[in-house]
Amino acid sequence: MTPLTRRQLLKFGLGAAGAAALAGCGTPGLTSVNAAATIPPASPSSPVTLTYWAWLKDLQKVADIWNAKNPHIQVRTVWIPAGAQGGYPKMYSALAAGGGPDLAQIELRTIPEFLLVNGLVDLSRYGAAEHAATFDPTLWKQVSFTGGVYGIPQDSGPMATFYQTEIFERVGASPPTTWSAWAEVAAELRKQKIYIDVFPFSDASVFTAYATQAGATWLTPTEDGWVINMRDDATMSTARFFDAALDKDLVSTAFEAYSPAWFAAAGNGTIASLTDASWADALIEGISGGKGKWRVAPMPRWEHGGFGSSVRGGSTTAVLANCRHPKEALEFAAWLNGSQEGINGLIEHCGIGWSANPKFIGTSRMEPSPFFSGQNYNQEVFVPASTEQNPDWSWWPVTQQSLNILADQFRRKPGGQSLVDGVVKAEEQIMSVFQNKGLSIRKEEA
Amino acid sequence: MTAPASDQTRTRGRRTGEQRAPWILLAPFLLVFLFTFILPILAAVGSSFMQVTRSGLFGEQGVTQEFAWFHNYALALGDGSFITSIGRMFLFGIVQVPIMIIAATILAFLLESASARWPGLFRAAFFLPYGVPGVIATILWTFLYVPGLSPIIDVASWMGIDIDFLGPSTVLWSIANIVTWSYTGYNMLIIIAQLKSIPGELYEAAHVDGASPFRIARSIQVPLIAPALMLTTVFSIIGTLQLFAEPQVLQSVSPAIDSQYTPNLSAYTTAFAYNDYNVAAAQAVLIALVAFILSFAFLRLTNRKDQ
Amino acid sequence: MTSTSVTNSEAKADTQTASAPAKRAKGSGASSKIIVTAILVVVALYFLVPVYWVVVASTKTTADLFSTNGFWFAPTFALWDNISAVLTYDGGIYIRWFLNSILYAVVGSALATYLAAAGGYALAKYRFKGNNTVFGIVLGGVLVPGTATALPLFLLFSQLGLANTYWSVLIPSLVSPFGLFLCRIYADATVPDALMEAARLDGAGEIRIFHQVGLRILTPALVTVFLFQLVGIWNNYFLPLVMLSDAKLYPITLGLNNWLSQVNRLPEFYQLTTGGVLLSVIPLAIAMIVLQRFWRGGLTEGSVK
Repeated sequence: MTPLTRRQLLKFGLGAAGAAALAGCGTPGLTSVNAAATIPPASPSSPVTLTYWAWLKDLQKVADIWNAKNPHIQVRTVWIPAGAQGGYPKMYSALAAGGGPDLAQIELRTIPEFLLVNGLVDLSRYGAAEHAATFDPTLWKQVSFTGGVYGIPQDSGPMATFYQTEIFERVGASPPTTWSAWAEVAAELRKQKIYIDVFPFSDASVFTAYATQAGATWLTPTEDGWVINMRDDATMSTARFFDAALDKDLVSTAFEAYSPAWFAAAGNGTIASLTDASWADALIEGISGGKGKWRVAPMPRWEHGGFGSSVRGGSTTAVLANCRHPKEALEFAAWLNGSQEGINGLIEHCGIGWSANPKFIGTSRMEPSPFFSGQNYNQEVFVPASTEQNPDWSWWPVTQQSLNILADQFRRKPGGQSLVDGVVKAEEQIMSVFQNKGLSIRKEEA
Repeated sequence: MTAPASDQTRTRGRRTGEQRAPWILLAPFLLVFLFTFILPILAAVGSSFMQVTRSGLFGEQGVTQEFAWFHNYALALGDGSFITSIGRMFLFGIVQVPIMIIAATILAFLLESASARWPGLFRAAFFLPYGVPGVIATILWTFLYVPGLSPIIDVASWMGIDIDFLGPSTVLWSIANIVTWSYTGYNMLIIIAQLKSIPGELYEAAHVDGASPFRIARSIQVPLIAPALMLTTVFSIIGTLQLFAEPQVLQSVSPAIDSQYTPNLSAYTTAFAYNDYNVAAAQAVLIALVAFILSFAFLRLTNRKDQ
Repeated sequence: MTSTSVTNSEAKADTQTASAPAKRAKGSGASSKIIVTAILVVVALYFLVPVYWVVVASTKTTADLFSTNGFWFAPTFALWDNISAVLTYDGGIYIRWFLNSILYAVVGSALATYLAAAGGYALAKYRFKGNNTVFGIVLGGVLVPGTATALPLFLLFSQLGLANTYWSVLIPSLVSPFGLFLCRIYADATVPDALMEAARLDGAGEIRIFHQVGLRILTPALVTVFLFQLVGIWNNYFLPLVMLSDAKLYPITLGLNNWLSQVNRLPEFYQLTTGGVLLSVIPLAIAMIVLQRFWRGGLTEGSVK
């Protein structure tokens, strides 16, 4: 090989200058695209191509439906690893590099995190308001911050209880309607060496969903900064309830839902039920020999109030900051997630969660399911569940880190620290995370 | 080839040639080194001293960056999880590195002893894992760790033993096993190379003196392979502090591995998942410092013993 | 200093090196032969069990993978189905990953070896101002963790438009501080000053002397450096993880982990992952068996040839 050419050397020299500049002011994401002028739509004669990063499989098939009808806006999808498992780091680094896709799948809970790095286009400047009526108002609230709209809701995960009818019958139980009834059934099942469900220490989003159902709102955006309250009655009683359940060994902590060990246990009947989001149906259908054994019931309620259901998961289609055609991107995102065609396509090819359009849950979901004992569970259970949600919940700019902090505290439960203490400690840590990012936060006065 | 010249000019030309030559030869390496090591390190050190302050809920009312002195270092050192991860790596290193080096030494001795049959075959078998990338090695072992998939767990449960390779107290040693599996053969080969370089006369002299094989190993072989042992130990220490791929891959099956399980994982999470580039830079600088101090201390210690 | 102490001991070991292989200890009995061999067999089992498991697993269907014992074959033999699934999934992306890995590893390590050889040779054979400083700084580079450089390097490459290209993985692979370190030791011990002087008297320029005299003598060391760097790049995970977002540019490590990360949602990826791992291990196994003699020949026998 010949030594470097002069031009390459020049490039290195430029690189050196660049790095020196970076050393001084290298932190990316400090400027906002939403302060700049809006980008006018491209003329119909010059077709645009939009790149869309998502971890939905076969998304291109849905995009192709759109592409066939909209020759001037072509969408090309790229599969990326799911969210925190690699997708977000990829997006963050692409944004930091001044690039990235036009559209991306971003979970509802992650939208504020992208706002923190100025990663999203404010769609209200491109006419998002006209689509607001199409989507579930609870979800729309979760993409709306400081007067802007930062993503089009794609799906959500209203929760219910999936249970094995035969195992419940064995102990003479019907699906519990309250959490205390749930604990009683769990105790009966334990006599048969069966666990009613699992409780994951490492994924705090499950606990978060239970607390949300009880009526908690941990963080609230206000005029003068964030207000935190994780010691409210709803959260504390939820923590106490699961402290007791864990102390009495009512739930398994040996493995998490959807792990191979869980599939084995659900298959051989040592796990009787699962309280989780609507999208769990597709996963439960993967349990070997499970056909006809499972049904779905509304999730148990908290006695002291709260809501009929909760939510876990849920994504949006967001327009990333370096998108050069936000208007066209918005048009596509609204079609994909709001139109019957788009929703049916997403369900059929990608297996998305609960439709974000309350007027259309998807054609296939209006049918009874042979796997779930012929039950028409979507209409019967999830449609009501999707309306019985905590409307005040809001995600915050350090959600992932907060959930990790919470999980780190929960991991100490086997060592003797209660969930209650864990939540209280986590609140302090989350506050300091806010402060270290230079955001103002205060505790809610009791 | 060169045109004949007077002796004097030739010498002068040669001198300047000799002065310039090393720099010309070094230039390509140094350029890439500067570009891919020095500048990024300077940039990391620089950004580890900066801090971002935001106003409003997301910084929408303005973001400022300022010099923060050692604020980020204080945050990194005040972060219990980060300190725990360094402590975890110490524990890991103190147990895993000696086990691996001792195992590699014993295997090298056994293979080099006349007692071994098919040494070539065994050497190849032991060395094979070195060629398997850490990620793929971890995927391989993941299958043997996961309940429901792992035949090892099945076999153990027939015998009435419950093993959990992925639990909070065991997963560190499951990682240690992967690292040991990957690098023992490699370290063994380095030691074998050194053993082979011991002059035959030394052995003959020892035999004439009637030394036992054990005695030969202790008095001749171990001292002479000491440099190789030292080198492999230093690299293992550095490798331990940089552990990343194994825990990152195992994360998907072991809930016990949190996002800050190792120092490197911690820095990666802080930078790419929490978007806190400044604190991440401080963490990376701290990792480098610890690696440097450890290697330095180890070399000092062993050198003193030698003298 | 760190560098000098290693250097001295290494160099000492080198000068002691003799070409004759160690004479084997004589007179070991049959019983010790059996014991030693038994120990080695047990250890070999340990090293080969994961490989054996993946061979078995890749012949199974996803259902059998979970329902039959992992150490023995299932009644249905699905190896060819699995392998064709691996090779054809997503338009044969697996093959692309494999070729990428080869490209990164072979091109990167060849160039890295050349750069390290030139640098090591220059440091060993010329006395010049800054010699030790350069060597010390480069050795310090060995200690810097990948995370420390990866992020700023990524930002740097982004500004140059090199992030998410082949270059972003190739360029950082071109420096091997450890290779430079080895080359310096070898050159010090093996390249005779007299030979260089003779070449100078013949009128050869310094650069030509390096190419015609230095490189030739350094060849055994270069093989070692090349192999070290080859394995290093082949095993590389962190750098491509940070640099690449386009799956078409992935090396095989990143690609397979991408597949593994999907198994929880889509169990069929178990088959793709086991099949993919098997296909990636086979060539490595062959390479390791063939190449191990070079490792043996490399590290300390520099002065032999």
